[in-house]
Amino acid sequence: MSTLRNMRQNLPVIAPIVALVVLILIGIALNPNFLSYANITNVLARSAFIGIIAIGMTFVITAGGLDLSVGSMAAFVAGLMILVMNLLTDSMGQGLPVIVIGIGLALAVGILAGFINGILITRAGIEAFILTLGTMGIYRSLVTWLADGGTLSLGYEMREMYRPVYYGGIMGLSWPIIVFAALAILGEITMRHTAFGRHCAAIGSNEKVARYSSVAVTRVKLATYVLLGLLVGIAVVMYVPRLGSASATTGLLWELEAIAAVIIGGTLLKGGFGRVWGTVVGVLILSLIGNLLNLTDVVSPYLNGAIQGVVIILAVVLQRNTGTAR
Amino acid sequence: MTDPVLALDGVTKSFGPIEILHGVDFALRPGEVHALIGENGAGKSTTMKILAGYLDPTGGQVMLDGKPIAFAGSDQAEDLGVIMIHQEFNLAEHLSVDQNVFLGREMTKGWRLDHKAMRDRTADLLKRLQCRVDPGARVSGISVPDKQMVEIAKALSRKARVLIMDEPTAVLTERETEILFEQVERLRAEGVAILYTSHKLGEVKRIADRVTVLRDGTMVRSDLTADVTEDDMAAAMVGRELSDLFPPKVTGSDEPILTARNITVPGIVHDASLTLHKGEVLGIGGLVGSGRTELAEAIAGLRPRSGTVTLMDHDLPANDVAQAMKAGLAYLTEDRKGAGLLLDKSLRENLTLPLLETFGSPLIDRKREEAALDRAIEDFAIRAPARDMAVGDLSGGNQQKLLLAKTLLSDPQVVIIDEPTRGIDIGTKQQIYTLIAKLAAEGRSIIVISSEMPELIGLASRVVVMHAGRIAGELAGADVTEGGIVRLAMGMDGTSKDSAA
Amino acid sequence: MKKTLIATTALIGLTAMPALSETIGISIPAATHGWAGALNFHAERTVERLKEANPDLDFVLTTTSDPGQQVSDLEDMVATRGIDALVVLPFESEPLTGPIQRIADSGVWVTVVDRGLAQKGIEDLYVAGDNDSFGRTAGTYFADTLDEGAKIVVMRGIASTVDNERVAGFEAALDGSGIEVLAMDHGNWNRDTAFNLMQDYLSRFPEIDAVWAADDDMAVGALAAIEQAGREGEMIVVGGAGMKEMVDRIRNNDETVPVNVTYPPAMISTAIEMTAMGLTSGAPFSGDFIIASQLITPENAEDFYFEDSPY
Repeated sequence: MSTLRNMRQNLPVIAPIVALVVLILIGIALNPNFLSYANITNVLARSAFIGIIAIGMTFVITAGGLDLSVGSMAAFVAGLMILVMNLLTDSMGQGLPVIVIGIGLALAVGILAGFINGILITRAGIEAFILTLGTMGIYRSLVTWLADGGTLSLGYEMREMYRPVYYGGIMGLSWPIIVFAALAILGEITMRHTAFGRHCAAIGSNEKVARYSSVAVTRVKLATYVLLGLLVGIAVVMYVPRLGSASATTGLLWELEAIAAVIIGGTLLKGGFGRVWGTVVGVLILSLIGNLLNLTDVVSPYLNGAIQGVVIILAVVLQRNTGTAR
Repeated sequence: MTDPVLALDGVTKSFGPIEILHGVDFALRPGEVHALIGENGAGKSTTMKILAGYLDPTGGQVMLDGKPIAFAGSDQAEDLGVIMIHQEFNLAEHLSVDQNVFLGREMTKGWRLDHKAMRDRTADLLKRLQCRVDPGARVSGISVPDKQMVEIAKALSRKARVLIMDEPTAVLTERETEILFEQVERLRAEGVAILYTSHKLGEVKRIADRVTVLRDGTMVRSDLTADVTEDDMAAAMVGRELSDLFPPKVTGSDEPILTARNITVPGIVHDASLTLHKGEVLGIGGLVGSGRTELAEAIAGLRPRSGTVTLMDHDLPANDVAQAMKAGLAYLTEDRKGAGLLLDKSLRENLTLPLLETFGSPLIDRKREEAALDRAIEDFAIRAPARDMAVGDLSGGNQQKLLLAKTLLSDPQVVIIDEPTRGIDIGTKQQIYTLIAKLAAEGRSIIVISSEMPELIGLASRVVVMHAGRIAGELAGADVTEGGIVRLAMGMDGTSKDSAA
Repeated sequence: MKKTLIATTALIGLTAMPALSETIGISIPAATHGWAGALNFHAERTVERLKEANPDLDFVLTTTSDPGQQVSDLEDMVATRGIDALVVLPFESEPLTGPIQRIADSGVWVTVVDRGLAQKGIEDLYVAGDNDSFGRTAGTYFADTLDEGAKIVVMRGIASTVDNERVAGFEAALDGSGIEVLAMDHGNWNRDTAFNLMQDYLSRFPEIDAVWAADDDMAVGALAAIEQAGREGEMIVVGGAGMKEMVDRIRNNDETVPVNVTYPPAMISTAIEMTAMGLTSGAPFSGDFIIASQLITPENAEDFYFEDSPY
């Protein structure tokens, strides 16, 4: 009786993990190279960008908000970073200082962009959905404008110098993987064990109750957007050394992938409950689908989107069904 | 005696491993008003939901017209004429009144909606209820009692054979209650079976033909109302004799602890001033909508205001609830479910929310939280079937106790309690009254806002009465009478003596 | 010789006949990827140049990111600006055929660029690159240089007519060469997608001799993945459309990037210029102008390198 009840309670909790395990088993069955070191590190590293952003998105959504601008924001921050680094290389010459300034700039611009979103949502009272839809368009246009319609590329020598930030690492793990893992652990602890995380859940659950309980609602909500902006900055710092370029298509649809990952992971879209580890699993599920489809010819490439859609819906249905069986 | 239209036969109900109802037998007859009473958590809501098809019984049977029936859901029950009006209304806030009344059963002319017919029909129904709400008004914009009337109009618009009402009078004024009862009597005369619950035993005595008492999921007694007294009912509910409801009053000192001067909340409260003394229980009376809650919220830093609030020589800034709490002022909201508790969260998360920072930084110390919950459960006698359950699944009385524990967690010197006992049973009421007296005896100062006259009179040594956003007057000592409060609340001069209170 | 003559008379006519001011509407896809960016670059430059040369010519330039928006843009141009000629690069063939036909029927001169309409004979002038030739040129290069039994992977663009034509041309050229196509997936003309795709190809196939990336943006992603895996020298990468950086590598005899295939974005300039001349000279050019793709090799790379182009 009690084990049955435990199972029932736990199913929504472990549903995303079950989905992940199933995908991994399918991968092993389809291609022997799936478990190779190179493939695993590839998948983890490419998950890092959206993963880092999705961690921030978990807090925003848990607190009852939404941010559609992150993909465009990432492209804009990346474009600006490359532009400034190229300009600095002209004036200061190549060297570590240029990279340090570039990284600092990316983080600062990310924070500022998050702050602008947050302040307009909390103080001016604009719906998060519509406001970030607006800033999404703005950042996307700005990066297109910065790139003059083309692609902004980091100068060759700087690219070589900056390259190890994506490709290098320690103990066989590349930096994006290490940073992603560290942020995920930090994020999970923040969500579950700090006043900030609890306040986010309280605000998302019932903003009025939170306000009456003397939670600084405006400040916490603002902080979620700033945190997300910062994480976008960190993701960009990892992204730029990969290809050394940014264009109008950089970060396209990242916002939707991040939101999908958050929801697959078990966070409620309407807010009130969030879990960072679930988001990480969600991100890995999305990356693995793409990876599996590239590793096989079983499915027509025209149907990639459909497979993704089906897996997303299945993962969520599994949770909802068992979640309401209470 | 007529045959029952709807009956329960040995019905049990379990949620998971916990059995809530232990075999309830129960019959509703046409043309009879049946009152179902009991403490919070006794199983009244569950019983009603089973009757109306919202829940399936775990054991036993529901009988409709003498034959067993298993409702496929509330929709089927409604089609068969069994209609329930919920305490938390089932109204679509953004739709108009007439759209709500005909929601799901829209009248049509061919393939188009017949707006005019629905509007006219709604106007008729509302007129019968002497409700002056415009059928075209949006539900979000009308008052709570009006929403109740809209719910009843909705029920009337169907051919109700059985009408089940969950505490319909909790949010109604006396006059509105009278109108409701007139309708109840009319429906009774038409042969409708009516079940209703209330915590107001006087009302039960007045309107019900039969009264059934539930205690802890068991039917304790079922009598014709004429055969029992209010005391009998109360004793059956609580399971023991109730001594005096109110503890002896504590007299406060003359030392002012909280002073509010010229408080104005634009459009709601105008130039209100009051002083609270140390160790005193001060009452605030007045009609719903007179600005009592808004005044309290303005003082507690929950609303923008002008005017000054001074607590123990600290000036409290407007609209800053955190500052007020830090200075030693706590406010317990009247809106338990909307502003008091996170219904989907556990007891622990609710209890510690206002003071999370003090439970460890940067990481919250779960053990200290659990210890605080242990203390709260003991000090406030909170009865929760499971520690980790969602607060929304607690009974109203236990929710209120948890809310009290949460409010008092910061160890405030001044506590403002808005409607301390709304929608809770008499046993819990008594516990809360005792607690308020105890807090005052400890030297804390308390403001009690209440719509229930006996509560104000029984608890407060001094009562400030509001009318239309202003302080209409103040009564102290022997002048604190029902008549005096009512006269001030109605905008009359409270000092003139009246004999017909 | 004859062509030059006409062009000269047209230019004279352009300056000599101030008459009425004429408006040319230009509708092209937004700069969402490198090639479209270059298209925008050339379009804007051409418009500026023509405006300076002839103050009586007026231009309306709109960029669009989906077919629906393009239809609205076209309707607005006709309704509010009263255009006399239209230069349009249809976002998609099918949905824009009807609207463009209506505009053509109303007497407006229509020049269609690059992407043909679903029905023949609507446009007055058709200027296009040759997608079949684009694919065929790359395919022929592979067939000529790779050994029989060589293994290649293919990165396609966004699923569309353009992509299908290119791939068809490529496959036709490979026919009978004995080259094995290991896999063919959509890289969506996107660097990041191509990077991930190439990583997965590298995990999946131990031996790859050549990569055809049907666009230079994808070639950039593929090259980065190959470099990461340390498998440079094992395979060659052939992109397309003549991106500056690729041409630079070719002229420096890069062993991984030996050749490239042109698909000049400057065709929009040709289209605008021809339309403007036709409008003002009274001797309009009409018919089809197909610009075949060329193979860029180390020998001729210098001719295809444009320093100030964004692409």
